[in-house]
Amino acid sequence: MSDNHKHGHHISTPAQLWAVGGALIVLTIVTVLFARVIHLPYPFNIITALAIAFTKAGLVAAFFMNLYWDVKFNLMLLIASLAFFILMVAITLLDTLYRIEVVPSF
Amino acid sequence: MANHSSTHPAHVQHHFVDSEQQFDSAKMGMWVFIVNEVLFFGGLFCAYIVFRTWYPDLFTQAATQLDTFWGAVNTVVLIGSSLTVAMAIRSAQKNQQRGLEINLLITIALACVFLVIKYFEYSHKIHIGILPGAENYTFEGIDHPLAHVFFGIYYIMTGVHGLHVIVGIGLMLWIYFRARKGEFGSEYYTPVEITGLYWHLVDLIWIFLFPLLYLIE
Amino acid sequence: MATAEATTKTLKVQRFKPSENPTNTYLTDEKGVWAWMTTVDHKKIGIMYLVAVAFFFALGGFLAIALRTKLLTGASIDFIDADAYNQLFTLHGAIMVFFVLVPSIPAALGNFIMPMQLGAKDVAFPRLNLASFYIYVVGAIFTFIALALNGLDTGWTFYTPYSTESGSSVIWVTTGVFILGFSSILTGTNFITTIHKLRAPGITWSKLPLNIWALYATSVIQVLATPVLAITLLLLIMERWLGIGIFDPAMGGDPVLFQHFFWFYSHPAVYIMIVPGFGIISEVISTFSKKTVFGYWAIALSSLAIAFIGFLVWGHHMFTSGQSAVATTVFSFLTFLVGIPTGIKIFNWVATLYKGSIKMDTPMLYVFIFLFLFSIGGFTGIMLGTLSVNIHLHDTYYVVAHFHYVMMGGTLIALLAGLHYWWPKMTGKMYNERLGKVSAVLIFIGFNVTFLPQFVMGSQGMPRRYYNYIDQFAPFHQTSTIGSYILGVGFLIMLYYLLHSLFRGEKAPANPWGSRALEWQATSPPDFHNFGHTPVVIHGPYDYHQPMEEFQLGIAVDTNGHGKDTHVEPDDPELDKWKNYSLG
Ligand code: HEM
Ligand SMILES: [Cu+2]
Repeated sequence: MSDNHKHGHHISTPAQLWAVGGALIVLTIVTVLFARVIHLPYPFNIITALAIAFTKAGLVAAFFMNLYWDVKFNLMLLIASLAFFILMVAITLLDTLYRIEVVPSF
Repeated sequence: MANHSSTHPAHVQHHFVDSEQQFDSAKMGMWVFIVNEVLFFGGLFCAYIVFRTWYPDLFTQAATQLDTFWGAVNTVVLIGSSLTVAMAIRSAQKNQQRGLEINLLITIALACVFLVIKYFEYSHKIHIGILPGAENYTFEGIDHPLAHVFFGIYYIMTGVHGLHVIVGIGLMLWIYFRARKGEFGSEYYTPVEITGLYWHLVDLIWIFLFPLLYLIE
Repeated sequence: MATAEATTKTLKVQRFKPSENPTNTYLTDEKGVWAWMTTVDHKKIGIMYLVAVAFFFALGGFLAIALRTKLLTGASIDFIDADAYNQLFTLHGAIMVFFVLVPSIPAALGNFIMPMQLGAKDVAFPRLNLASFYIYVVGAIFTFIALALNGLDTGWTFYTPYSTESGSSVIWVTTGVFILGFSSILTGTNFITTIHKLRAPGITWSKLPLNIWALYATSVIQVLATPVLAITLLLLIMERWLGIGIFDPAMGGDPVLFQHFFWFYSHPAVYIMIVPGFGIISEVISTFSKKTVFGYWAIALSSLAIAFIGFLVWGHHMFTSGQSAVATTVFSFLTFLVGIPTGIKIFNWVATLYKGSIKMDTPMLYVFIFLFLFSIGGFTGIMLGTLSVNIHLHDTYYVVAHFHYVMMGGTLIALLAGLHYWWPKMTGKMYNERLGKVSAVLIFIGFNVTFLPQFVMGSQGMPRRYYNYIDQFAPFHQTSTIGSYILGVGFLIMLYYLLHSLFRGEKAPANPWGSRALEWQATSPPDFHNFGHTPVVIHGPYDYHQPMEEFQLGIAVDTNGHGKDTHVEPDDPELDKWKNYSLG
């Protein structure tokens, strides 16, 4: 690893970057294959699609956005933003999933 | 501010102690901004999820109108541009002036390819009557009373994302012209780094939009 | 900043006593309108925000007086008919929330004070700071365009479906507020980074003034919540323009979803308004009791706790909206939790007063007013959060009284405390103390006469946002109107003595209140670069048991100093012990 001593200044090698790019493209093909050729039953289709998407996002964040080498605070920021997003969705669903009528008539 | 001492390099603004502090601040500022972007798109994803849990049929039927092939191509295009922008940062860190300029140009070109493909997708839809809004929507191929709602969500999500792509192109052009003037190198490449972070974010969001909009069934 | 090798470094420090007669200040450097408009100096930007906020406050206040005057009678009167009434309360609310309270403390006072409290020369991104100000101005212009066209009559909450049908200029205002949101987001981003990265040597997290903790918590909320408002307004604009069918039931959308989105921002937004006020209260209460604040960490961390819990309770605005029973129950329960960190703060402030040497100057008077009014506001909030009670009280004047007690009795009074507290620092002038007290007392009396009756009539069933009322409520409405006139007089007196002080006021000393806080160790008004030196901090900001000299230290040989007007006392034998101070 051609790591720099000062944090925040990691320099990736071209090989590393290409490997990550390649992995992302392979995962894209895999996810299309799962959806269009293999046809998993619900809910496994959604689970695999999201799992692949999160893996890809993790790769981008860790190696393109350098979070893997960066100060942990920036990683914390990203995780916190996701946590608040999940909070927003979860609490909203607490209403929308448990209504007597989906859209109450007015 | 005449009395800058000689120990202060030109690119360091007067309120920072040194280059390191300026770099760290800029990067952290960008990450905080990314938090804000995540929640900005988060609102849209939330609307998507709520409507999807209410009307699962609507989503599986309507998604057949989206072209998986071109969606996948666009995914690959954006991943490629993410790769080149990372290479651009590396070139700057290594003082490789040519590499920096070429990688930036490729990134801009790929971003334009993305927009062109998006343009063809939009115009095809508009042509067959898939327009945003209940009254404008005239397509009859989907047998669901709320078909226009799905496409409303589709247009807004991809539209807002497309807007981010356009902003990204603008930023990268700006970086490119500054790079041509030789402003960046291993000592100072902060703007390249934070523009890169922004561009990766645009890629990240598409990574989720693609399966959620195109691949669901 | 903490590199692993250098855990301790030795700094040469010396005392820098602020000059009482600075010749060079931020007001004398870079003069002229153009220099002000293009400045990136956080102090000037803070002042520009302050002027803008004061302007909008006057405008919103004028609308409020018009509303109250109308409500002297239930009948229709010439100049305000039912439609005009709807416009007036909408604009009053929207202006006070979006243009006054949200930017007031962070962007105006915070901008000025925060870098000084950190010993920094500026915020992390000064140009972005100026951009935030102009974005605010552009947002304001959009709102004025709306006023010139058809105004706005949806209430400040823009609820669908009415906002998609109303004939007023909804798109203009929502676009304006959308733009305004970016100003708020960028300010928050800037502040978070500044607090993390630009602290002077020695300012560890445990030596951070509580005002900074409060601004930090506020910025966190701004960054997390405001983008959701932005997307909500964008969707609303699309709904109105194209009818995309997300919020409008006529198009297949769900209006309750709009309320979820709106309150996901707007409940945290009430904390964007009040939490910076908490910061001011902590500063003022300690300075005027000459005492360490009681429970430093309790106050600091409760700000963060409020920021977090504030995100979990938004549904208490929607108990009667048709939201599911599960959600209402959960939201009601969570709402009670918010009261805990707020209560912790109140207890700690009161404990700070205990055995302090309290000096009742105008800022402190406002702190007492705050404690009294905000407690009432908070308690009534808890009552409103009780599910069964809320069904009765929702959309009545009781809610109106609640939020005025917290927003005006809380945020605005805290703003006034801060304004009076930092006025000498910002302007270099003292105001008339006697008139200051008179106007504070008038505002206190006027406020209670205006809003206390609203609790009563609300609980008796007077709905909010109504143009008309039955005779039973006439005495309450009339008392309330009289109170609003008293309030108005109080503010006019304040305007008078503050302007007077600007032009004829006595010169302010560098530290008129004898505070230990860092911003008071600069000259009044401060140097263009805040301090002529890089400050070094060795004590907490409220360590009143330590001598003043030890709060005036700075790096002795500064490679990047700018200032001229600091009086250096290198030969003070008493301070020799600081000559080689180790920072852990
Ligand atoms: C102890 C903390 C608080 C609690 C438990 C609380 C609770 C509530 C509840 C339950 C309501 C809904 C009433 C209804 O419409 O039926 C409400 C309304 C409101 N609260 Fe609070 N509140 C608290 C603090 C605050 C603070 C600090 C502010 C602002 C600085 C604030 C501003 C408002 C506003 C503006 C409304 C009315 C919104 C509208 O419908 O126009 N509240 N509060
Ligand atoms: Cu609330």
